[in-house]
Amino acid sequence: MNSPSSARSTLFFRIENVHDVSDARRKGLLLALDVGFATADATKIAVVISELGRNIVSYARSGTITVLTGRDDGTRRYIKIIADDRGPGIKDLRRVLDGGYTTSNGLGLGVSGSQKLMDEFAVRTGENEGTTITAVKWLR
Amino acid sequence: MMNFSSIQKLDNLLLVSVPRDLVDDEVIQLRRDVLNAIRQYKSQIILLDFSRVDICDSFFGRFIYGTSQMTRLMGAKVIISGLQDAVIETMVELGMTLPDVDAVLDLDDALALSRSLRSAAVPPLAAGQDDDE
Repeated sequence: MNSPSSARSTLFFRIENVHDVSDARRKGLLLALDVGFATADATKIAVVISELGRNIVSYARSGTITVLTGRDDGTRRYIKIIADDRGPGIKDLRRVLDGGYTTSNGLGLGVSGSQKLMDEFAVRTGENEGTTITAVKWLR
Repeated sequence: MMNFSSIQKLDNLLLVSVPRDLVDDEVIQLRRDVLNAIRQYKSQIILLDFSRVDICDSFFGRFIYGTSQMTRLMGAKVIISGLQDAVIETMVELGMTLPDVDAVLDLDDALALSRSLRSAAVPPLAAGQDDDE
């Protein structure tokens, strides 16, 4: 059994290269397991951190990822991922959310796939204003 | 940091043990090492063993798919094995279904498949003798 968190409940990462992304996804996985998420759900959280981190490196060059835990009305626990950058913004958000569309050399699954892996997913973006993606997964 | 990876020849099989965590340039280097080993050992089947991998994002998916395409152009075939349940669930929900890439459950199944392909490739000896006369 996982004992509820003795770990720090907020992780903050400056994302500038793929090593930062690797570090963030690994620590995010451990935090999710520590909070009590099942392995499959913790894996999804780690993959979402990885996808959003890769997007920061590919499109904005630098940004931050914050992973935090919380409780709803003191009952259900959740993990929230906030990926924030001051890059060029997402021009065609609808196509990106539909999936299969990419302007880098990826599979075009990063944002659309991340949305499918999480319970809540919100994108705020503006041309040359950057992008903030907030994603939440609830503990079942 | 690069963690341990290994490429071993096993019969007509090339066994590639994919490390738990790879960053992008390490992934590209691993693929080049695999292509080089295919040529060196004339391997027909490349088994990418993912049993140590616990986080498989879309970049990893692109690595698998790209390696499969490249090895096909060398007359070889990629089979993936050892995907963990949590990794499979995440890959499919992410939309990463990897068409045209075959998978087996574990190394035992991979070896059995390799042997069946090998025996199918051997010409029947008795039938071949008459042709020489």
